[in-house]
Amino acid sequence: MYLTTFGIVLVFFIVGALFVAVGLFTAALVRPKNPTPEKLRTYESGEIPMGSPWIQFNNRFYIIGLAYIIFDVELVLLFPWSVVYKTLGWYSFIAMVIFLMILIIGLVYDWAKGYLEWDKPNPVIPQLNELIIHRKKVNKEN
Amino acid sequence: MTITQSYLNNLMASVGYFAPEIAIVVTFIVAILFDLMFKKSKNIAAYISIIGLIITGFILSGNIGISKSLFDGLIVVDPYSTFFKFLFLITTILIMVMSLSYKELYDNNRKVGEYYSMLVGITFGMFLLASAVNLITIYLSIEILSLSSYVLAGYTKEIRRASEASLKYVIYGSLSSGIMVYGMSLLYGATMTLDVAKINVAILSGHVELFPIIIGGLMILVGFGYKMSAVPFHYWTPDVYEGAPITITSYLSVASKAAGFAVFIRFFKDLYLLPATSDINIWNTISNFHWQTIVAVLSVLTMTVGNFVALWQENVKRLLAYSSIAHAGYILMAVVVMTNVGITSILLYFVFYMIMNLGAFFVAQLFANKIGSDDLKDYIGLGYRSPVLAVLMTVFLISLTGLPPTAGFIGKFYIFTAVLDKGFVWLAVIGVLNSVVSLFYYAKIFRNMFLRSVADDTKNNFKFSAPAFPLSIAYVLAFATILFGLYFSPILNWAENSVTMFK
Repeated sequence: MYLTTFGIVLVFFIVGALFVAVGLFTAALVRPKNPTPEKLRTYESGEIPMGSPWIQFNNRFYIIGLAYIIFDVELVLLFPWSVVYKTLGWYSFIAMVIFLMILIIGLVYDWAKGYLEWDKPNPVIPQLNELIIHRKKVNKEN
Repeated sequence: MTITQSYLNNLMASVGYFAPEIAIVVTFIVAILFDLMFKKSKNIAAYISIIGLIITGFILSGNIGISKSLFDGLIVVDPYSTFFKFLFLITTILIMVMSLSYKELYDNNRKVGEYYSMLVGITFGMFLLASAVNLITIYLSIEILSLSSYVLAGYTKEIRRASEASLKYVIYGSLSSGIMVYGMSLLYGATMTLDVAKINVAILSGHVELFPIIIGGLMILVGFGYKMSAVPFHYWTPDVYEGAPITITSYLSVASKAAGFAVFIRFFKDLYLLPATSDINIWNTISNFHWQTIVAVLSVLTMTVGNFVALWQENVKRLLAYSSIAHAGYILMAVVVMTNVGITSILLYFVFYMIMNLGAFFVAQLFANKIGSDDLKDYIGLGYRSPVLAVLMTVFLISLTGLPPTAGFIGKFYIFTAVLDKGFVWLAVIGVLNSVVSLFYYAKIFRNMFLRSVADDTKNNFKFSAPAFPLSIAYVLAFATILFGLYFSPILNWAENSVTMFK
């Protein structure tokens, strides 16, 4: 029987699916059945979820996420660099220093703008301050 | 010599020609840092950015006439890209100077450091885009360009229409770039290479599936069409142009559009056209598939929709947005022929379009500073209240229509010549008819300014003008508009020498 490389992958998927299905089916036949409310919870030993999941998250999480990317990108590119570092010598060292400087400036920007401080002393509530242009339009519509 | 060392040598040889881009990045970083350090002086980022870009211009002039492939074929430096880079630089510097006098931007004690550094970031993206010849570079540079423009479109974030513009721009933009990157993956899947020139070789060898290449090309056209705001990919344009700060609107309508055209022409010329072929059959690399017809239909749709929808607009920014769509249509007309004459006329048109469009938006901005409105209705009587600005506006509008003796006439003349040269009489006729339509809505603006006066409303009858510095910029632009309508041979020579692309 002739199989291409992707054919082998397909066979792998089919066998994998069968493996799980047969296992679950046999278990369902053999095991005792005794459901209690505790067992049926999503997280059996965790917190009980409360309220609606459709809440608005503080968008400072987003900024922290962006700051994390600074280090993430740095790490991803440092690994291959460290492998070829010996052959390339000073050139790669200087190049990497320049690259790290650019990334660090991103962090410095966050720091100087105060995005890294989680507890803000005076929360600034954004206000919609419409210009005359927009107000005029609204008045016209009314 | 190991592979890494030969790669390193290639890198070292390329860095010298990459100096303008490096200068832009340095400008960007220095502008951000100084803005953080000197919090008291508000415009320090603006001044640093302007000086940095002028220095970049001097460095860039070292690349004039050089034709070279850099970084293992990721980008190229050639007269074509250098021409566009100068165009982007001049536009960005002009926009920065104009922004200095923009009231809405400086309202509410807003911090403007990021505004100017983001403009520098856009310039970097456009520089890469003009010289990109690799699918990955094209995609990355379009994203650099787009991400900064999304932010800038909503920079005045308390104003609701600006936030709306930014959000719409992001949503439409991510959709179109998603389609584009899918098309690129099809091209890669069919030919197993990301280099545009090598894809061309693969197509010509005849051993590849043509279907994914055609579909991939169409999908990439969506991404480029979005940047060029060609119909039917123009839906974002009016809303974004109306909502964004007016300086950003004019920037998007000139620089971002030019970048889209730069990459569009280079990509399709490299990808689908036979190398060193005669001018006749250049679009027919893939037999039985008529790219030329597709681009021609796109062009006709773009200018017709742009012009006819503009007739009903009541807002000057929105009107100019539709007019910029129509101008993309005129330029696409010359893309259809894709000869050296055609590309020359496109380059020429972009120089003139930059001057007149920036001028028109700039005068609209000066009006908005005083009367706080962009509505056509509020332009009534401005010819009496501010004769100087109104006359300047009229000059730009006449040039946008394409009447002599202005630069717009010369630009259109060369485009029509190129189109007729290849025998596309029907296309030229549609173009001329469209120009006639456009006269109507441009005339609506100066009719409101001069021919209608508000006599009874004494409150609105005070006279005003602009401060000396912005006014002098408007004068220079208007002077250039008329000058290039009468004497344009240096620009023409420059454009003729810039059609060479790296092969």
